[in-house]
Amino acid sequence: MGAVHFDTYVPRESVIHHWSPRLKLISLLALMFACATVQHITLVPWMLGLVALLYGLSGLPLSFLQQRLSYPGLFILAVVVLLPLTVGDTVLWQWGWLALRQEGLQATLLILGRFLAILTLGFILLGTTPFLTLLEAMRSLGLPTILADMSLLTYRYLHEIGAMLVTMQQAMRLRGFGQRRQHWLKVNGRTMLHLAMLTGNLLIRSYERSERIYKALRLRGYGYGPKSAQEESVSPQVSVLSWGLTGGALACAAALIVAEAVLRGALSQASLLGWGLMGVLLAVVIGLIIAEGVLRR
Amino acid sequence: MHIPDGILPAQVCVAGYAMTGLATWYSLRQINRKPDPTAEIPKASLLTAAFFVASSIYIPVPPASVHLILNGLLGVVLGYFAFPAILIGLFFQALVIGHGGLTTLGVNAAMMGVPALLAYHIFQARHSFSKVVMEPARTALFAFLGGALGLGIAALIFLTLVILNISADINANTERGLILVLSAAHIPLMMVEGVFTAMLVLFLQRVKPELLES
Repeated sequence: MGAVHFDTYVPRESVIHHWSPRLKLISLLALMFACATVQHITLVPWMLGLVALLYGLSGLPLSFLQQRLSYPGLFILAVVVLLPLTVGDTVLWQWGWLALRQEGLQATLLILGRFLAILTLGFILLGTTPFLTLLEAMRSLGLPTILADMSLLTYRYLHEIGAMLVTMQQAMRLRGFGQRRQHWLKVNGRTMLHLAMLTGNLLIRSYERSERIYKALRLRGYGYGPKSAQEESVSPQVSVLSWGLTGGALACAAALIVAEAVLRGALSQASLLGWGLMGVLLAVVIGLIIAEGVLRR
Repeated sequence: MHIPDGILPAQVCVAGYAMTGLATWYSLRQINRKPDPTAEIPKASLLTAAFFVASSIYIPVPPASVHLILNGLLGVVLGYFAFPAILIGLFFQALVIGHGGLTTLGVNAAMMGVPALLAYHIFQARHSFSKVVMEPARTALFAFLGGALGLGIAALIFLTLVILNISADINANTERGLILVLSAAHIPLMMVEGVFTAMLVLFLQRVKPELLES
């Protein structure tokens, strides 16, 4: 846990950094969902090209993406590694009992393409927006107060509780925990009891600390009614650049969804209702954004 | 046990968000009925952080080791705060380590959070059996059930969603067989999670009983 960092924001002067956080959040989420609709392999290069363009515009270094992709990348590989060898009837290459199948290979490429595109969009969001700004944007979009407060407090104390666990585990090791030989395929009840007590102690310490924090928060006015009107009305002016980027991103998301529907011939099938619903949702989002922009002006 | 981005089609992701929205609304409604909901927020937040950290503890099951999911325990300790806690924990995991994903956040939260709420109700049901089973066996039994079923139901949903959506070219019989075999393989893990939850709840009952009064 000690190695976990939230501050993944990379300060740059790119257009994506200057994109209004609220509009950026909506646009990139719409793009992520549009990428998730892609089921046709021919759309994968277009989708990846679009994401590469956005990543280039963000000015984030490639090492940032490389570093963050390694762990989830290994996880997704573990999930799809058997697909090219087990799924489908069209054999592309065979060596003894080992056969590479076309359908499985296509499914793997599709999943990896979508995964890479969606994850990169997430990292663009996180790399160009400070975490607290992102939370603020979510709050202004209607995130309930309880969720927003819980997120902020969890974020604030996560590292400290992580450090507390590291110290407790070190103290256990210094007292000889984990030195005993383990038997194969047998869970040691005593070890488990010690780990349960370790977790219990972590919960108790966190609980006691939360009581002190609550008292400190109350003394500073926490829970005494809503924020003042002056505090609530602080919202920065949205630039033309932000509106332009939002329009472009939403148009790309709509284009991906329509292209997928056309390629699958889905417009003539029963799933028309599902696609229609997605389209209506996207139209509502675009409409709300435009209406808000007009009202602000 | 998180479904990563890219595996599920968008329709399933949207349905996951709808379910999570509904479960969050229901949980927040229950929380707001308490006399002073703000008093519980720091406690729930720090315990969320503690659970997030504690899920990195590994239980040695030689020759390997497993890490616990703890969603059943979250339900037992946090009650209706368990769902928001899981949602926040998964959001942080998706952002920080790329574990899970933003499009699958709704599905993952519903998959882990709904069994957590179920675990809470199972644990609360112990009060109805006060004449049948004596303490501390009663608390241990219901904590075990909450922990084991919390993981078991989440694993079943996870396997069903992944196997049914990973490729259209797998035939229905193979899919059914895979779900059954892989679900059966999770039974030992359910036992480990259940026993761990029972041990921890008994420890909390002895040392800090107010933590179980959610």
